[in-house]
Amino acid sequence: MRILRQALLLLRSELRQELRDFELLLTAGFFTVVLLAMFYLSFASLQARAHLSALPGLMWLTVAFVGVLTLTRVFDREREADTLRALLAAPIDRLAIYLAKSAMALSVLMICCAVLVPGLWLIFPAGQAFAELPGQTALLALLGCAGYVAIGTLFAAGLATGAGKNTLLFIILYPLTTPVLMYALVTTRALLDHDPALPDHLTRMFVLDIILFAAASLLFETVLVGAPARRPERPHRPGRPRGPAEPVHRDMSRETSS
Amino acid sequence: MTSPTPPASGFRPGHVLPDLCLLAAMPLLVHSVYRVFMATPIEQSMGTAFKIFFFHVPMGWLCMLMALIAGIAAAVQLRRRSSAAAAVALAAAELGFVTGLGVLLTGPIWGNATWGKPWTGDARQVSTALLWLVIVAYLLLRHYGPRSSDRLAAALAIFGAVNVPIIYYAVKLWKTLHPSTGVVGTLPPDMWATFWPGFGGLLLVSLGLLGLRIRQLRLADELDAAWVQLEDPQR
Amino acid sequence: MSEAAVALRGVAQRFGRKVVLRNLELELRPGTIVGLVGANGSGKTTLFSVLSGLLQPDAGERWLFGRAADEVDAQARARLAYVAHATQLYGALSARENLRLFADLRAAAGLSTRPADEVLLELGLSPEALGRPVSTFSRGMAQRVALARALAARPELLLLDEPFTALDAAGRGMLSRVLLDERSRGAAVLLSSHDFDALIQICDRIVLLEGGALVRSVEHQGDRESFRRRAAALWQDLPADPGDTMVAG
Repeated sequence: MRILRQALLLLRSELRQELRDFELLLTAGFFTVVLLAMFYLSFASLQARAHLSALPGLMWLTVAFVGVLTLTRVFDREREADTLRALLAAPIDRLAIYLAKSAMALSVLMICCAVLVPGLWLIFPAGQAFAELPGQTALLALLGCAGYVAIGTLFAAGLATGAGKNTLLFIILYPLTTPVLMYALVTTRALLDHDPALPDHLTRMFVLDIILFAAASLLFETVLVGAPARRPERPHRPGRPRGPAEPVHRDMSRETSS
Repeated sequence: MTSPTPPASGFRPGHVLPDLCLLAAMPLLVHSVYRVFMATPIEQSMGTAFKIFFFHVPMGWLCMLMALIAGIAAAVQLRRRSSAAAAVALAAAELGFVTGLGVLLTGPIWGNATWGKPWTGDARQVSTALLWLVIVAYLLLRHYGPRSSDRLAAALAIFGAVNVPIIYYAVKLWKTLHPSTGVVGTLPPDMWATFWPGFGGLLLVSLGLLGLRIRQLRLADELDAAWVQLEDPQR
Repeated sequence: MSEAAVALRGVAQRFGRKVVLRNLELELRPGTIVGLVGANGSGKTTLFSVLSGLLQPDAGERWLFGRAADEVDAQARARLAYVAHATQLYGALSARENLRLFADLRAAAGLSTRPADEVLLELGLSPEALGRPVSTFSRGMAQRVALARALAARPELLLLDEPFTALDAAGRGMLSRVLLDERSRGAAVLLSSHDFDALIQICDRIVLLEGGALVRSVEHQGDRESFRRRAAALWQDLPADPGDTMVAG
């Protein structure tokens, strides 16, 4: 419960900062609209059958592109002010940082999906199923974005604590998240085809998300701060009296060279 | 001025194992090539191009094996802060890169000859390509990443290893032109007799190169430590 | 004899061939202020990272509050506060909101914190500034907010990386007074600085970090002038560094 409470506090702070200038929401949302425009220009003239094949890819390609932008911006704030290190040095459970950042990135991605999915439906009539099955569509978007965010948050945080270049996030995230996006592609096609096996696909995505979140949560603190080195047991406790004038460190000025 | 502590001298079995693997691989590979091209009949439905199978499939298996080794070593590296495990992870990733490249080159040759399409875009083809991309990303991060990126790269290798079973499972999810996982199981016995020596030879070559590369990386670590010791102003 | 707030034994850290910390030994007792001096790149920030738990050293032992600290867990982090060289504040949030965020996070862990306004006003911020976004602050004002966030936690160990940077004369005086108060409260304070005069005024001991190890030390043994002379000699041992902005007395 403590972890959840701390995660909620951090998420509330994130949202508060975002609602002051809307920078992340506006840039991610605008980028989504730009991609929709590019898809319209590129693919609208194709036959309806081609639309049906292309739609899953268009949807999840957009999520992949907007996802990197979102994660980069979520952690740019931390990087610019070095606040992530302040959080890591604070007496909070470090997993709470991961949960809060994941929730923030997921929220932004879901808002972008709220623009993306209706946009695809408007541009491509083959997307009719999105309107016919809104609940399943929303769940599909949530599960796909959650899996993406589970992996992306870990690596974006890792790059933010070091002197990591943002370009490395692109190199890491695209290949690493494509398995998640593959499942999302299959499930989206099942949704568009009104496949009766759609619930099974959604269940698989849910299970995959659980695995990814669990793995990323286990790795988060170790990746950011490192595991402790193993030490031999030492019975001596420092702090015992050493003598009134004895220095507590090696004073090279008084030592002869070997 | 004291000199750095020299590495332990004397015979150590681990030092010759890679060389033994490479030596043992040589006759196996020669035998395998002979069997593939001289002693194995041409497959009825896929013709001569099927012979690529005897190199393609082992390289695919080895790519996944190396990804698994890299992932496990990376987990040990993170948990125990082991530079030896880091060396194993890097070496395995490099070999995964090479074997993965072999799969991605031989696959289209086989596909083009058999189905007229070098790239069918099916699940296993795509998934193997993705695994290879993850390996490339790992290598790029190890070489060009910032100071603390060794831990991040280890996490990437772990996720890459998790990707390996997903590759197999993805085959079952999608209808595919690619032969199902049952192809190997349906081989006639004389083709098995051709397959396993080739796989064994390539496995020994991979393990031998893995051992040599690990040794090389460990020597580089020892060199750094010796250099640091030499430069220590407090000696 | 009181237990050391922190002790490092043989701590080492290197990145490839670059040695940052080398067989470092350090002990800080409660109710003392130790000044850390060293040229740029001597390892001061890395030392602070090791002490605050942001970095696991490659070798050596770290003891915090009498317990071996292979990792600096949340319990230990609750008793220390680290003010880094960067202010580490959320620019979009106000000074009050920055402090309240960390106070709320501490409260979720069952830890108490002094009221944000009380500490901020004590450190010289005007009441109307408390509600302004930190992005509108000068470096000196932001420094005060960062310090307030640390002091609000009533830490037993206070780590400050160049806290006098960007502070005017009044600010330096305020900070010196605050640190002396913390010492009276029983906190152990470790601060790095290039400001010789400020260190002489408040430190009980000044240590020189060179090549990743603590190589020299000067203790205040009751006579400030003697302390100043010996500290000046230590200061002259600092390697020449074109980037240094230290001020010798």
